[in-house]
Amino acid sequence: MKSAFSFPFAALTLFAGAAFSQDQAVAEATSSSVLYRLIFALGIVVFLIAAFTVGRNRAKTMRSKVSEMHSLPSFHGAVTLQYAALGIVLAIVLHLILGRPLGLGGAVAASLVLGGAGALFGLSTIKADFRARTFTERTIMVALILCSLVAVLTTVGIVASLVVETGHFFELYPASEFFFSTVWNPRFGGGSSLGILPLVWGTLYVSAIALVVAVPIGLMSAIYLAEYASKSVRAWVKPAIEILAGIPTIVYGLFALITVGPLLRDYFAQPLGFGDSSSSVMTAGLVMGIMVIPFVSSLSDDIINAVPQSLRDGSLGLGATPSETVRSVVIPAALPGIVGAILLAASRAIGETMIVVMGAGAAAKLSLNPFEAMTTVTVKIVSQLTGDTEFASPETLVAFALGLTLFTITLGLNVVALVIVRKYREQYE
Amino acid sequence: MKDMNMESRVLIQSNKIEARKVQVYYGTNHAIKDVDVDILDKTVTAFIGPSGCGKSTFLRCLNRMNDTIPSCRVEGLITIEGEDINDPRVDPVQLRAKVGMVFQKPNPFPKSIYDNVAYGPKIHGLTRNKAELDDVVESCLRKAALWNEVKDRLQAPGTGLSGGQQQRLCIARAIATSPEVLLMDEPCSALDPIATAQVEELIDDLRSQFSVVIVTHSMQQAARVSQRTAFFHLGNVVEYGETTQIFTNPKDPRTESYITGRIG
Repeated sequence: MKSAFSFPFAALTLFAGAAFSQDQAVAEATSSSVLYRLIFALGIVVFLIAAFTVGRNRAKTMRSKVSEMHSLPSFHGAVTLQYAALGIVLAIVLHLILGRPLGLGGAVAASLVLGGAGALFGLSTIKADFRARTFTERTIMVALILCSLVAVLTTVGIVASLVVETGHFFELYPASEFFFSTVWNPRFGGGSSLGILPLVWGTLYVSAIALVVAVPIGLMSAIYLAEYASKSVRAWVKPAIEILAGIPTIVYGLFALITVGPLLRDYFAQPLGFGDSSSSVMTAGLVMGIMVIPFVSSLSDDIINAVPQSLRDGSLGLGATPSETVRSVVIPAALPGIVGAILLAASRAIGETMIVVMGAGAAAKLSLNPFEAMTTVTVKIVSQLTGDTEFASPETLVAFALGLTLFTITLGLNVVALVIVRKYREQYE
Repeated sequence: MKDMNMESRVLIQSNKIEARKVQVYYGTNHAIKDVDVDILDKTVTAFIGPSGCGKSTFLRCLNRMNDTIPSCRVEGLITIEGEDINDPRVDPVQLRAKVGMVFQKPNPFPKSIYDNVAYGPKIHGLTRNKAELDDVVESCLRKAALWNEVKDRLQAPGTGLSGGQQQRLCIARAIATSPEVLLMDEPCSALDPIATAQVEELIDDLRSQFSVVIVTHSMQQAARVSQRTAFFHLGNVVEYGETTQIFTNPKDPRTESYITGRIG
């Protein structure tokens, strides 16, 4: 027992010794110091596995002597591992809080001491009536809560930083100008007009065209796949459509710039008298629409498949044709999910940057002409932040205000969709 | 005198559906073998038999619902009033309007009670205006013994009703297309005894207008609601005749074993 437990200590001490001697001398992250840190991490894993094994073996031995034990040996091993992990986490947190007084060697030493103490304490809990299984269950729940907290806190953090920086922007630039001015003309020297309206208009215009393309095509292919296609057709067509989602947006951008843009200009815009710009809202919208088709079709397909077969049977049994069944029974039942799918596609379209830069250009304009070059909020965020200006002028801080506005628009869209879904939801089951 | 009546009743009742040498295959599995059954008009016919014996499958042949299962293949002759339902000129969609179906689990559409019943008349254009549709909905709900319970909330969702009410709503929905035959696939298996009694009473009322075919696992139910009974076993019809005769004096030893609970 003792020898089994001393092995991980020995291993860790070995790594630590090697690391300590080097670390003091190396100030910056050279390749060897990175290597030592990786070895340290590996050492922790080995240590934890060892703690688990020792705990389990000890419980096994106890089990052969005691008649009844509450938990299986592996749960006692898991408890030992949990305490050891807790010790190591404490050690590393302490090391960071105290400002890394002893370098990597200090971290290793502290991990050894606290991790070892934790493991020993974990071993001391191994008793016949200790509910290691329940204990592990609770730890798992805590871990799950922590993970969901990470997502929530990240969102909160992002929004907070956006709000703060936007506040700074409005100290330097009047909010009324920002929201209601129809001119976007930033000049890095002062005296720029930073009206968001042309950008919001461009964003909505491009996204609307994208959705007009993607929603009917996506929804109808989803209906075909879910209701009509045979298994073998579905097995081929569904992945083929999903490939569209895997193409990098820059490739779509190329496609817009080189093929779609000139095509639309030569065959639609010029003959119909809409101007002769090869980058246009229409180009970006069409290409973006194709990009988001899989978002609509793939999700809708899953949702339509989830509608119970009994509803279809009921409708077909009344003498409805398959398309009548789809229209009056399946789609209403699947509506909440379909709206969700469309919304996801809309968020993708609103946040898309690359296709707009290459397809619609970078000129901020307020125009109804779909063959005119326009630009969107995201493109302007990129262009305001590229270059080396410091974050003090309204011309750079405006990016945060743009980001916050964009975020508010998508949030509003979500809320509206939720309300619509709740109102028109037709419950099944 | 009594015998005379019995005799004349049988004579008046014509065959609504005739099935001859019906075979059903699921892929390579031969599920129904050589089934010959005549369904009488204005009669309740019960199909009984152990699980997997093919009674539901045969029922689904009668309105060609098996067409919706890709691996399913039906052979043999099934006629409704002398017309072959598997003839390529027959539109299965029209056939299903004529041969209504009620399923095992209540499956109201996620729509209002009114729209559930109005669904069939709407898609088949059976009514000319809203007032006529209202009348159809009301009369069907009355026939299904549901009107008094739902008349004040016709716009409430059909899925909000209790299980027994949902099943009666499905029956109302099925009779709204004015079918000639009503197929019921274990209509009471998801219901409690009270709702079952209501549905059984309803089936007895419906007999005056439709020919009803019911699949059931409950032999008491078959005895209570049906006039004729067919016993299915391993894809064959073992015995078919008057319900009283099947239950009191079965000819085939397998039928006797099943109704006394020895096989099944």
